[in-house]
Amino acid sequence: MTTDIDAPTTNPGGMFLQPLLGRLAVHGVMILLSVLSIFPIYWMFVTSFRPANEIFSTALWPSAPTFENYIFVLTRVPMLQMLANTVIVAAMTAGLQVVTGMLAAYALVRWRMRLSGVVHGLIALSWLVPFQVTMIPNYVLASQLGLLDTLAGLIIPNASHAFAVLLLYHAMRSFPNEILEAARIDGAGSSKILWQIVVPNMGAPIASLSIIAFISAWNEYFWPLLLSRKPENSVVQIGLQMFMTQEGNLWGPLMAAACLASLPILIVYLVLQRHVIESFMKSGIR
Amino acid sequence: MLRRHSLKLMAAFTASLLVPFGASAEMAATVDKPVTITFYNYNLASASAGADATKELIAGFEKKFPNVKVEPIAVPSNEIMSRVQADIVAGRQPDVAQLVFRDLIYIASDLGGNALEDMVKPAELKEQLAGMIPRGLELGKVDGKTYGLAYTFSTPILYYNADLFRQAGLNPDEPPKTWADVAAAGKAIKEKTGKNGFFPGAYGPTDGTFVYQSIVMSNRGKVRDGNKLTFADTNAADAVKMLHDMVASGAHAKIDPASASDTFGSGNMGMFLYTSALLSSMKKSAAGKFELRLAAMPAFGDKPTAPTNSGSALFIFSKDPLKQRASYELLKYLTSREAYTIITSKIGYLPLRLDIVDDPNYLGGWLKENPMFRANLEQLNRLTANLAFPGANYRQVEKMMMDSVREAVFGKGDPAAALKSAQDQAQDLMP
Amino acid sequence: MTSIEADIVLPKARAAGRAWVRRPREPITIAPWIYLAPALVLLMVWTYIPLVEAFRLSFYQWNMLPTSVPKYIGLKNYERLIALPEMRNALWNTLYYTLGLFPMSVVIPLFVAIWTQDLTGRARKIYRALIFVPMIVAPVVAAILWRWLLNEDQGIVTRGLDWLGLERIGFLTDPRYALATLTWITGWKLIGFSTLLFSAANSGINSAYIEAARIDGATRWGIIRDIRLPLLSPTILLLSMMTILFGAQWSFAYINVLTDGGPLKSTTNIFYLLWQYGFETMSAGWSSAAGMIAFAGFAVLAACCMWLTKRLAVYDN
Repeated sequence: MTTDIDAPTTNPGGMFLQPLLGRLAVHGVMILLSVLSIFPIYWMFVTSFRPANEIFSTALWPSAPTFENYIFVLTRVPMLQMLANTVIVAAMTAGLQVVTGMLAAYALVRWRMRLSGVVHGLIALSWLVPFQVTMIPNYVLASQLGLLDTLAGLIIPNASHAFAVLLLYHAMRSFPNEILEAARIDGAGSSKILWQIVVPNMGAPIASLSIIAFISAWNEYFWPLLLSRKPENSVVQIGLQMFMTQEGNLWGPLMAAACLASLPILIVYLVLQRHVIESFMKSGIR
Repeated sequence: MLRRHSLKLMAAFTASLLVPFGASAEMAATVDKPVTITFYNYNLASASAGADATKELIAGFEKKFPNVKVEPIAVPSNEIMSRVQADIVAGRQPDVAQLVFRDLIYIASDLGGNALEDMVKPAELKEQLAGMIPRGLELGKVDGKTYGLAYTFSTPILYYNADLFRQAGLNPDEPPKTWADVAAAGKAIKEKTGKNGFFPGAYGPTDGTFVYQSIVMSNRGKVRDGNKLTFADTNAADAVKMLHDMVASGAHAKIDPASASDTFGSGNMGMFLYTSALLSSMKKSAAGKFELRLAAMPAFGDKPTAPTNSGSALFIFSKDPLKQRASYELLKYLTSREAYTIITSKIGYLPLRLDIVDDPNYLGGWLKENPMFRANLEQLNRLTANLAFPGANYRQVEKMMMDSVREAVFGKGDPAAALKSAQDQAQDLMP
Repeated sequence: MTSIEADIVLPKARAAGRAWVRRPREPITIAPWIYLAPALVLLMVWTYIPLVEAFRLSFYQWNMLPTSVPKYIGLKNYERLIALPEMRNALWNTLYYTLGLFPMSVVIPLFVAIWTQDLTGRARKIYRALIFVPMIVAPVVAAILWRWLLNEDQGIVTRGLDWLGLERIGFLTDPRYALATLTWITGWKLIGFSTLLFSAANSGINSAYIEAARIDGATRWGIIRDIRLPLLSPTILLLSMMTILFGAQWSFAYINVLTDGGPLKSTTNIFYLLWQYGFETMSAGWSSAAGMIAFAGFAVLAACCMWLTKRLAVYDN
């Protein structure tokens, strides 16, 4: 699946035949969709620079942009510490999901076992278990293991996910047989085949899995909310929560905190945008 | 199966711990050894004035009691009860917790909260409670025993926008005193200015039932009588019907209950009935935009109002004698004159001790600068305890009641019928 | 607790023909179990043991406290739940959420992908980059943003309605609109991702088929109907399945942050209901029973979806 995504799929010559109106309509629809997608985020950004008495203004740009909301956020809440924690949690979660997924997928593809159907089913079915059901028992367990208020407690329960196993399983199954046969004949062990032959050729699925796992770990809210006991040991989504007080929302700081929580990941996305999309196309997630 | 086993074991273990300590072990006389106690607190979980004040209070306490280390556990207010419960389930006994009044009975009957009368010697307790207003002490009592000590609490107060009053041809110096006045003023504001007339903070996800219960009790209704639900009985239902009629006439706004304070703060609402704890943030958002004023909560004709309490009380869960002592000292410190001065002046809650109000060493100076707060203090004379629900299903009962109130106020059908059917259904869940 | 959220897509099931190193009758070995161990142990400990525990609890009445004794009540929790109007209401809402998401997770993205296939160069890249952005915004942030935009008095959308001379809409307060609003917010995060997947699948279609059809005189619509749609069917089915299985779960964060199931219970769905029983009203039995109903229901749905996918999908072999 290595189609070049930027190449038009039909003969470019055909386009001259299309009426101009049609092309304008296409652009119109795409612009509308783009604006719908991006405007709320733009609005968050702008609001975070509005002074308190202008917070409900509808001007597209604040008349006197201010950093007061950011200063408030950074002085009231250990936001930088939380950002660092979130980076660690998201990176570790993504990394572990890739590793556990890779090992499990390899076992399912490499060996035919009588129980592989059952194992495969168990893994897939775990995806459908509502997290609301497992939260309290998991909290009790995390507490017994001493994981409360630790980053490990945020990482370990998410270190394996059905999606990771299934994605890598399907990607691995389309791996060319001949190369592996050759390696086997050369006497390579199963672990050598996995790490030296399979993994280096799974760049695209690993990349897209890492991205998806990273994003969802970054955005995780309910589990950290249950587990965190001190703000400095928590993650950015909980930092946001601190500006939604019982006495109403502090909108300016809340928007500033939301920007701080989203910007790193947005910037990473914009920088890697081309690669992100390409890896999705190549990874066979279609 | 491992977990099932461990849960059972834990249950047996904790039960065996509870019985002897609850019954016989006596609280230590002093804190003579270093000890760490946990303090579950929701003010610390938000970036508000409450967090700063709480940190200041904890620091002050640790300075006074160098042997005690307070480990604060910050949990948002709507999660804090589940967290205390989850930690008990997980075998981590909390020591002191700031919890809201709706859970009062459950805390006493199921969660193992300690009654001060069982823990503290009568003479010592008497000394501590002296000077606290008796009506305030009632708030944390279950069957005559004090489980919670009112900590950050307040009563509903009517915020109004004087500018909108003027625009609607009303006199801002004569704020509404009765619900009939509110209905008339709300209608005038809606019709003359196009802005929202009136809204009570009584339907939202975070405001509990205190505004609603204040309105009901001001009409001599009650949400329950013993184990019998009475929120659909005549007086209570009439109070709700009054709100329903105001919605029909346009005097009562139809807005998102969760953002009612934003609507008022942005100058788009004439009158807002809610906790006085909002005062400082309201002042901030009104600054330079409109003239903010306060009035006492409205009455039904000439019946006296019955303002009930919002907010939280402090509860002790410690089972260990030394920790009990440390927890009790924390409780004493947090309800002292110094502490209430900080709580009132920095967060905006009511003090449980009235002798500090005009004392220049405590609140005297602050109150001179904030005369608006007097309306709130004055309501303390009629403070009426918010009724919590009993039984294992108390939260479901409360939820059914509030759902039916929303339906009665905003729905199209007959308000009394909506309340009645919910009351019948919820009665099955009462003990 | 993991919610690999809207991000998730099952790889399409492929014909087994290409599988490698499948040596029949290999001697029984523990090697595969060593490879499987990390994933299986984690899933067992953090998902299946709690699930079994919940199954057991669903026959008890208990508030989870060590001071109280679980009371065995057989199927009472299930009977009570099924009889409860709230449960029926939540199930209907779950269906609405799911159906309501289809236009945004499947129909519009499919339409956009096909319609914009001829766009070239920069414009296409920019559009794609922009419509993907909501995907990476945290659900909590999205919820806050939309509450801000839709506020009935000072929200920008309300101001827009005023400007157009339209009446104000209680997006989150009017029971007639609240469910649609939450569905829209859920869908807002999905549109870009689905569009991306459809575009990828669409550009993967072998252009020789299209050329051949064109030479045979097929119309544009004919090509779409007879070639593109059938070849896109695996992606269509995949995204439909994701929507059916996870759509209601994706809206959970918005219900929790924005409406708490209201107004007048109009936005409660099955997942929110079992959350409320578990966390707000602390009835472990009810919550577990509702959880089991949800789990079993979605497992059956998943099986149906897989079966349909196998029957309906057309692959380009």
